[in-house]
Amino acid sequence: MSIRKSFLLVLTIVICLGALSAAAQDDEVNMTMWVRSIPFQTQALVDQWNANNDSQIELTVIPSGEFVTKMGAAIAAGEPPDIASIDLIYTPAFAAAGQLVDITEWVRQLPYVDDLTPAHMELGMYEGRNYAVPTGVDGSFIVYNIDLFEQAGLDPENPPSTWDEMLEAMRAIDALGDDIYGYWFSMACAGCNAFTFLPFIWASGGDVLSDDYSEATITTDPTVGEALAFYNTIWEEGLVPEGASIDNGSNFVSAFTGGNIGMAGMGNFAIPLFTNDHPDLNFGVFHIPGKEGGAASFGGGDVIAIASGSAHVEEAWRFIEWTMSDEAQIEIYAANGQIPVRLALEDNKYFEGDERQRTAASALRVGHTPYTTVYNDLFNDPNGPWLEMLQVAILDGDIEGALDLGQERFTQIMEG
Amino acid sequence: MLTKQPAGFNLSWTQRRKLTGLLFVMPTVAFVTVFFIIPLIMTVYMSLHDWPLFGERAYIGWENYQELSNDRQYLKSLDFTFRYTVLVTPPIFILGFILASLVRHNIRYIGIFRTIFFLPVVIGLGVSSLLWVWMLDDRIGVFNKILLDLNLVPKAQLFLGRPNTTMNVIILSVVWKTVGFTMILLLAGLQSIPDELYESAEVDGAGYFRKLFYITLPLMRRFIALALILSVIGSVLSFDQFYIMTRGGPRNSTISIVFWIFNNSFTYFKMGYGAAMSIVLLGILVALTGLQLYVLREKE
Amino acid sequence: MTAPAVHVQAERSQQDIRRMRKRMLLWLQYLVLVVLALLFLFPIAWSFINSIKLPSEAMAVPPTYLPEEISLRNYEELTTYGKIGIAQHVYNSTVVALITVAGSIILSTLGGYGFARFDFPGKNVLFIMVLSTLMIPFQSILIPLFVMIVQVDLHDTLFGLALVYITFQLPFGIFLMRNSFLAVPHEIEESALLDGCSSLSILYRLMLRLVLPGIVTVAIYAFINSWNEFLAALIFMSDQDKFTLPVFLTTIRYGIWGDVNWGALQAGVIVSIIPSLGIFLALQRYYMDGLMGGAVKN
Repeated sequence: MSIRKSFLLVLTIVICLGALSAAAQDDEVNMTMWVRSIPFQTQALVDQWNANNDSQIELTVIPSGEFVTKMGAAIAAGEPPDIASIDLIYTPAFAAAGQLVDITEWVRQLPYVDDLTPAHMELGMYEGRNYAVPTGVDGSFIVYNIDLFEQAGLDPENPPSTWDEMLEAMRAIDALGDDIYGYWFSMACAGCNAFTFLPFIWASGGDVLSDDYSEATITTDPTVGEALAFYNTIWEEGLVPEGASIDNGSNFVSAFTGGNIGMAGMGNFAIPLFTNDHPDLNFGVFHIPGKEGGAASFGGGDVIAIASGSAHVEEAWRFIEWTMSDEAQIEIYAANGQIPVRLALEDNKYFEGDERQRTAASALRVGHTPYTTVYNDLFNDPNGPWLEMLQVAILDGDIEGALDLGQERFTQIMEG
Repeated sequence: MLTKQPAGFNLSWTQRRKLTGLLFVMPTVAFVTVFFIIPLIMTVYMSLHDWPLFGERAYIGWENYQELSNDRQYLKSLDFTFRYTVLVTPPIFILGFILASLVRHNIRYIGIFRTIFFLPVVIGLGVSSLLWVWMLDDRIGVFNKILLDLNLVPKAQLFLGRPNTTMNVIILSVVWKTVGFTMILLLAGLQSIPDELYESAEVDGAGYFRKLFYITLPLMRRFIALALILSVIGSVLSFDQFYIMTRGGPRNSTISIVFWIFNNSFTYFKMGYGAAMSIVLLGILVALTGLQLYVLREKE
Repeated sequence: MTAPAVHVQAERSQQDIRRMRKRMLLWLQYLVLVVLALLFLFPIAWSFINSIKLPSEAMAVPPTYLPEEISLRNYEELTTYGKIGIAQHVYNSTVVALITVAGSIILSTLGGYGFARFDFPGKNVLFIMVLSTLMIPFQSILIPLFVMIVQVDLHDTLFGLALVYITFQLPFGIFLMRNSFLAVPHEIEESALLDGCSSLSILYRLMLRLVLPGIVTVAIYAFINSWNEFLAALIFMSDQDKFTLPVFLTTIRYGIWGDVNWGALQAGVIVSIIPSLGIFLALQRYYMDGLMGGAVKN
């Protein structure tokens, strides 16, 4: 029955699509698209599309910090864009509020549906239906300074694979001089640490949220406290510059480019910056390890969706489908150093020979993203419980107090 | 015939005066109604609702108010705002009084000094906060540069990195920004006291402190009260300096009440909850203003 | 002969000592005043000095005391900062300030005149209603204001923000203008009234000139307050093109993925200080009158 049903559905869609693409050729379709201001190749995508299609897309770049507010206001005013490139963590909230078009049937037809980055696909779902697909993907990993590794007598070919190995490497590098430090974190930046610290917990088999994301597991899962203790050791031993404790993220990327930092959590977005603006920086990449090994990554970036109320749903989907094609993924994404949204495409002619880029792309195989409609309040808010918990545990050393506080405020927000 | 008006418009002079007066004040009354009275009523209404930015609204009665007592950060913010107010008021008042005493008499060039001390008041608090956060920076800030050059500290200080030093430097910046205002109020108070009183006190051999406690302070009671209350109200409502200088950090230790209302309403989009907090804030402020009116009441 | 002379001399020397002491005290007072004045001026001067350094020098760690080279590059960078450039934000702040000034003057003059010179039913109630706005700070009613402004599609408009600012200038303006009109002798108006002039033309032809100081005061306060306001501007404007200067400057402070451009920030601080400072210095007397009139209400 379900086969017959879906066959009928496909048939209907194909007919509709045919009818609509015919209609689209009759009169010009103009669509609007919003993207937040992050360095993905969205403009190049839209330009390419506009050059080769009758339908035209007008792209508006919204400052990252205002995206949700603006989107909310636009929806409330009944004037949302047709297509939106949304920070993936907000997708559940938008889908739950009924603001996105259900694209399940189309998504299931994609031949590479199982190859799309899993974290983004999961976040694009709500109650078993698809509302978004990946568009700008990024995963977190560790960058390390090969020159400093060599100076400290470490083997740059074999980067650390456990927390203890990381600590040893940091100590060795830190001993090189007063101005040289083993590590960097931006401890006044909530989002930076969701991106680069959460994977330490995941790679050790733990999490701050339960498997069904219904409750906080900060006090019940011992790996959370252990990971905090690991970072606390880094701070207590002075393996990071003191200024890291109050960095609000403005040095998240640039600290490592100074050449005096041994390792730092990072994302793929920074790699073109490193290679273009800092050609002397001799760096490598490894996956974020768990306590005793393993690897994990935070799946970040954007997913693309159609807003409810769009008058051009089919044409919008045609654009979205095209953005995932080989043409777009290799010639626009990979050619510009951006990670393809399809895992199999990590082997491509542009990434060949650059192990860093391939490692960065493969991080998304172990990519994970918390699924919650209150992500922002929990993790991203500079006044949220996540950052406060980290600061109390790591900078003040009060790990027990931090765990209790985190558990209480997480629970309160998730229930609220 | 031409000048004859319909009977209904044939108003007497007094009636016309009344109507004219009403028309003059109408625009103001309309503005105040639309942008003040209605929002005020709506605040009460919203505080009884679950009111997200978009999506369903629902009536939930007193739930928002009940939630307040479980909101750890809200209680922390109340406590912080209270502590900040208690700590920032004395320095503003004392320095304001010293400045007012220094510029009291019209000696030569005194106008220039009054102007200089008052200058920071006309700069926006937002802009002044940006100025200070830059001067306080550990790497690029001038304070660390001076302290290091004078060998007063062994290494650069993270002024905004620890709760207690953060409080101190923010107080310093706010004193700079606002003390001129207090100075002018107290100056008016000082100048309202006739010189003869001091002269006769001096003849009786009264020293500086006797004059201060028996003449100056009692006679400028109303000015002192006004300066204190305006300063207290300003501190209770503070937002800019914390939003800009610390973003509420470190460890969420500098989130004022208005900051937390802002966060809940415009970051978490819990507008109903924010409205409930606003009502509490309103209560505190009405109490303070009541106190103001009581202290400033005419004694007849 | 000698004794009184000695006495006079002693008295004179005692007078000299007293005068000397008084002079010393005066010098001491000036010394303290100068030191304090330098401390008060330092942040503004330091900001200015850094704004005219070369951008690279303004970013130097540790900072230099005096510029090695004077340059306006930081100001130039501001003109293209964030793709929009500071000119747009200066324009935004100016438009909001001018609408606020115009609205506050018109409403306060009309209202002040009405409350001062006319008797009508409900006058006291309305007057108290207007003044009660002073008791309740706008911070506590921002949420419904935001909801209302969004409802009528006035968010992200300079006009919407100005409307809110006007409302919160009103109680002070009405209070001040009412007092100004009350200070004008009745006789002046009465002769005009007998001549059959309408109330509006009396206000326009006769009274305006007499209450001009009050109007100037209202205008200064409207300008400086709206120019400097931060919280409401932060909430009502989500479109970066519409940011007023203070909100724009905070976006420099929170540069994403990059160092803060400190030189440009200081140039921006100076740009935003100049108008209110200039107006204050030029019209100081009116500003102080307003402070006294508004604050020390009797």
